[in-house]
Amino acid sequence: MISVTPKKLSEHRVKLDLNNLSPEQVALEIKNLDLYYGDKQALQNISMSIPKGQVTAFIGPSGCGKSTLLRCINRMNDLVDICKITGEINLNGDNIYDRHTDVAALRRKVGMVFQRPNPFPKSIYENVVYGLRITGVNNRRVLDEAVENALRSAALWNEVKDRLHESALGLSGGQQQRLVIARAIAIEPEVLLLDEPTSALDPISTLTIEELINDLKKQFTVVIVTHNMQQAARVSDQTAFMYMGDLIEYSDTNTLFTTPVKKKTEDYITGRYG
Amino acid sequence: MDKLNVGRHISGQFNEDLERIINHVMHMGGLVEKQLTDALTSVCDADEALAKKVLSNDYLINNAEVSIDDECTRIIAKRQPAAGDLRLVMAIVKTITDLERIGDEAGKIANVTLESLSGKHKDLLSNLDNLGRHVLTFLQATLDAFTRMDVEAAIQVHKSDDKIDREYEALIRQLMTYMMEDPRSIPQVMSVIWSARALERIGDRCQNICEYIIYFVKGKSVRHTTPEDFESLS
Repeated sequence: MISVTPKKLSEHRVKLDLNNLSPEQVALEIKNLDLYYGDKQALQNISMSIPKGQVTAFIGPSGCGKSTLLRCINRMNDLVDICKITGEINLNGDNIYDRHTDVAALRRKVGMVFQRPNPFPKSIYENVVYGLRITGVNNRRVLDEAVENALRSAALWNEVKDRLHESALGLSGGQQQRLVIARAIAIEPEVLLLDEPTSALDPISTLTIEELINDLKKQFTVVIVTHNMQQAARVSDQTAFMYMGDLIEYSDTNTLFTTPVKKKTEDYITGRYG
Repeated sequence: MDKLNVGRHISGQFNEDLERIINHVMHMGGLVEKQLTDALTSVCDADEALAKKVLSNDYLINNAEVSIDDECTRIIAKRQPAAGDLRLVMAIVKTITDLERIGDEAGKIANVTLESLSGKHKDLLSNLDNLGRHVLTFLQATLDAFTRMDVEAAIQVHKSDDKIDREYEALIRQLMTYMMEDPRSIPQVMSVIWSARALERIGDRCQNICEYIIYFVKGKSVRHTTPEDFESLS
C-alpha cells in the first residue's frame, strides 16, 4: 500500500522571513524613508522589504500615509511641490531617488492603477497600447499580440474581444478598472501599484479584480493599498499596518490577521480603533 | 469580561454579540457543572430519581451547544472577526463541543445509579466518589479559568490532569482485582469502570478547554505538545 503523508495545511502557503530575504527575493527595498509635506512629516523612517512575485498590502486608517508611501514607489509625489523625501527606495538594487534616475523609465517599470477607473476617451484597443505607442512601438502585429495578452491577463479578453475598437467609456466600472490594469501591464512593468483599486466597484466586480490580483502576482510584484481589511486578508501575502506615518507592523498576512504582535494593529483590525 | 476585551469595538452591536455568546458559554458551563454534580450525587446516594433527572436534562446542554454554535456562525458571517476576536470565537466553538461531551459523560455516570448495584457492591462506589469529587473540582477550576481567561490558571489546571489519570489507573487496578476475586461481580464492576472512564475523559476534555484558553490569550496552539512547551508560555 502506498503511504502518502499529507502536507500540513499551513505548509501550502510559503511563509517568507521578511527580515531575512535574499537579494533575489526582494523586489523593492525601502530604507529609512521620511517624507514631508511642507513642515508636516507624513512618513517617518519607513524601512521594509517587499518580496518579488507576491502581493503586499498597506492598510491603516485615513491619513496614515499608506497612499503616500505607495506613490513614493513610482515617484508620483515628485508632482507635489511642497513634498520633500529623504531615504532610499531600491528597485533591483538601484535607488529610484538617485538624481540620475529617469522617472519616465521608472514609471514603465512600476505601473499604477488608481481608485477610480480612468480610461482614456479612446477605443479599448488604443487604451491598452497607449504605453507601447509612446515608447515607439508601432508594429501592428506586436501591438495586437500585446493587446490580447494584456486583456487576457486582466481577465477581460473574453468580454471585449469583439469590440476592441469601441470606446472604452462604454464599459462597466469593473470592466474599466480591468482595462486600466490591462493598460498598466501591457508595458510589462516589474511592479504594479494598486491604490484602492476596488473602492468604487460593486462586490462582484471587486471579487473579479481580487481574483485577477492573485493571477497577476505570477508575473508581477503587486503592492496594494486598501481600506477594506478583509480584502487585504484575502488577496495579500504580506500586510503592512501603518498609523500616523509610522509602519507599525509588517508581517505575513496570516500572522497579522490572527496573531498580531502590536496592540495598535490588533485594535485596528478588530475594529477598536478610534 | 474586561479581560476578554470585548467591549471596546466601535460597533456596539459587535460588543453585544460577543458578550452574549460569552455569557451563554458561562451559562452552559454552569449547566454542565450542575449535571456532573447531580450525577455524582445520584451515584453516591443511589438516588434514581436524581439520575433520571440528569438524563432528562441533557437536552438543555445540547440545546445550548447548538444555539451558541449558531451565534458563532452568525458572528463569523456578519462581522468577519480577526485577531483576538477570531481566536475567541474559535475557542468558544471548540469549548462548547467539549462541554457538550462532558454533559454526555455525566449522563453515563448517572446511568450507573440506575444499574441498581446490590449492597455488597456499594463499597465500589466510594472510590468512584473520590475520583468524581476531584474531577468536579477540576471542571470548576477550568470553568473559572475560562471565565477569567486566565492563562496561568489554565496551565496549572492542565498540569493537574496527571493526578486524575493516576487516580483513575489506581481505581481500575482495584476494580480488576475485585473482578478476579469474584467473577460474578463482573457486570456490576464493569458499570463502575465505565463511570470511572467517563470521569477520566472529563479530565481530558477540561484539559482541551485549558488549551483553548491559552490559544485565545497567547495566540499559540498548544494541542499535542509536551509539558515543556507550556513552560515557555508562563
